Amino acid sequence: MAKKTVSKTVVSSNGRGRRGPQSSNPDSSHRTYAIPDYRLEKPSFSVHQVREGDEVRYEVKGNLGAPVPPIRDSKYLNNQQAIEIYRYMLLNRRMETALENLYKQGKVVGGVYFGLGQEACSCASAYALDKDDWFAPMIRNQGALLVRGFRAADTMMQYMAKADSPTKGRDGTSHFGDIEKRNMVSPISMLGDLIPVMAGVALGARLQGRNIATLTWIGDGGQSTGVTYEGINFAAVQNLGLVLVVESNLWAYSTPSEMQYRVKDLAERAIGYGIPGVIVDGTDACQVYDAARDAVERAHRGEGPTLIEAKMMRMKGHAIHDGADYVPKSLFEYWRKRDPIARFENYLVKEKKWLTAKENAELISDVERVIEAEREIAVNSPMPTPESAEGGVFCEDGCHEIKPKYGMPKVKQGARRLKETEAAVHLK
Amino acid sequence: MQLTYLEAIRQGIWEEMERDPSVFCIGEDIGIYGGAFKVTDGFIDRFGADRVIDTPIAESAIVGAAFGASLTGMRPVAEFQFMDFIGCAFNQISNMVAKTHYLWGAPAPLVLRGPSGGYVHGGPFHSQNPEMWFVHNPGLKVICPATPYDAKGLIKAAIRDNNPCIFFEHKYLYRRIKGEVPAEDYVVPIGKASIAREGRDLSIITYAAMVHTALEAADILKNDGIDVEILDLRTVSPLDRQAIAQTVKKTNKVIILHEHSRTGGLAGEIAAIINEEAFDDLDGPIVRITGLDSAVPFSPPQEEYFLPKVSDVVREARRLKAY
Repeated sequence: MAKKTVSKTVVSSNGRGRRGPQSSNPDSSHRTYAIPDYRLEKPSFSVHQVREGDEVRYEVKGNLGAPVPPIRDSKYLNNQQAIEIYRYMLLNRRMETALENLYKQGKVVGGVYFGLGQEACSCASAYALDKDDWFAPMIRNQGALLVRGFRAADTMMQYMAKADSPTKGRDGTSHFGDIEKRNMVSPISMLGDLIPVMAGVALGARLQGRNIATLTWIGDGGQSTGVTYEGINFAAVQNLGLVLVVESNLWAYSTPSEMQYRVKDLAERAIGYGIPGVIVDGTDACQVYDAARDAVERAHRGEGPTLIEAKMMRMKGHAIHDGADYVPKSLFEYWRKRDPIARFENYLVKEKKWLTAKENAELISDVERVIEAEREIAVNSPMPTPESAEGGVFCEDGCHEIKPKYGMPKVKQGARRLKETEAAVHLK
Repeated sequence: MQLTYLEAIRQGIWEEMERDPSVFCIGEDIGIYGGAFKVTDGFIDRFGADRVIDTPIAESAIVGAAFGASLTGMRPVAEFQFMDFIGCAFNQISNMVAKTHYLWGAPAPLVLRGPSGGYVHGGPFHSQNPEMWFVHNPGLKVICPATPYDAKGLIKAAIRDNNPCIFFEHKYLYRRIKGEVPAEDYVVPIGKASIAREGRDLSIITYAAMVHTALEAADILKNDGIDVEILDLRTVSPLDRQAIAQTVKKTNKVIILHEHSRTGGLAGEIAAIINEEAFDDLDGPIVRITGLDSAVPFSPPQEEYFLPKVSDVVREARRLKAY
């Protein structure tokens, strides 16, 4: 039995035969690997650290004058789905604008984190999941929460540390989860740790007979952590349905990606993991959706993890306190022209004509109404009582019934009985 | 039946896997090889490779994957080849697993287990007792059994518990001690200490391998007319405050004995509990017998010097009795 299982793992896990090195000459000692790049433009610039006298600053080298590329038509999305993603992107942005205002009014405890410029990446990737799939957002994926059915008020109350927030005031931002209905694992502030956890969620489901997709994101900064490697590699050898979106947003707090890694594109890391890797334009919702959907379907077929690198730029500082003065102004100008919402709006209204100008205006005002109503709910929630800091450290008797979510694992049992082991051991 | 400490743990995990299909094992070299200490020897033949999972050498991935699986209602039992390596997964345990129920209400029913402890000349990276890293970490249950009976009953309790449990198996005890273990199913409650030896004159509060050191010392001290009570904590987090207070109230003199280093060690915490619960009952200073404030050295004479010994306990007990 063991032998059979092991051989199955080797054949199907990395799918080495299918995805391994490709070469026109089988005798060649030079291996070549393919990383599909779905972008319709390939920006040709880079950021460099310049040292002049006592001053150290970042400068851009290369061509920032390229025209804005079109949106790539989706292989999968129909017009209703595309409009729905667009609506989530708008909700995402307006929610964050409302949070910015709440912060200026002194109603937010701590800082505010923005996904400005990354709404297509957060929303379209989460939209690619099916109901039973799981996700774990990072701080800039607040749009994904909306796609997966959380209310804007949930996130707003988290930021205001309110009693009715999902964590009842115990944590802020997007740090909450729901293992019952919405299949969300709460993020922690340390980067990369969600990756093995999401691999484990897929493992748990597989033991219960289900191949699910588990989506999480990591930045170009966060992927530098060791646990990122451990998590992806574990998912790869176990052939688990992890969908990892690497958000290459150029800045890790104040450090440019040029000081974070040496490969040309982070999708190349997929070669080292022995899994498929693709590159998409993170400001193009259709490209993000298609790549994520392909990855989700691979996961459902039990074919293992996928790494998707989405290229874009973080259009604000690390958090609201950070003016991002270290970012060369010309970079902001370049990426502002590639605003994911403006591009998608233009695509839906002008190119595809799936939305009339009037319908678009109605949709926008509806989003504004929703966010205002959510803001009201959040603002009116009370602060938690001081003593609510106590309790809940442990799951006490009766607080949760724990049972396999997708059904009791089917057990195959060998004939062997337990007998005393007498084998040699490491230390005596 | 008489079982070794190691066989008792093996039986406990095996029986829980037989009883509950949501229990599975995950770790390094635990499958065909059966684990570095052979705790899971033969498990893969009985339960299959799906439920006895060999992993890459990646402790954070092991804990992360176990935790993720637990969120879907599984009950993973993750092995560390040596508990010294649990430090590699510290962030997963401390920031992900331990805080999860308090912050967002998700139960994490997983067990992290493995061999710890010295006296086997394992050197600085194969001899540690890192339980205090986790005692100072709300949200985790930390278990350190001393006998085959408790080891089996507590591993079963840990697997059935709805919280993350860290289970320290003392590798010196694995094949050195045998004890009576009933054939029928039983659990030992987590968080409850037990009296390993009743006595009147002074109490030794201890756990794991040190229980046996204390018992040996007690036999010697009996010849001096000193009647020692030994409290085996069994679980070091949460601590059984009531049992600690009770033994102090009974004997009025107390030695706290543990293998790990002194500063920031468990003895300090227990001394504080005694201060809070039984200060007026003390008839002498609280005495600590512990490992030194250094790494565990490799060479046998150095390791012996580092670790608490029977003679240390006898000497300190005589001194305290005379106080």
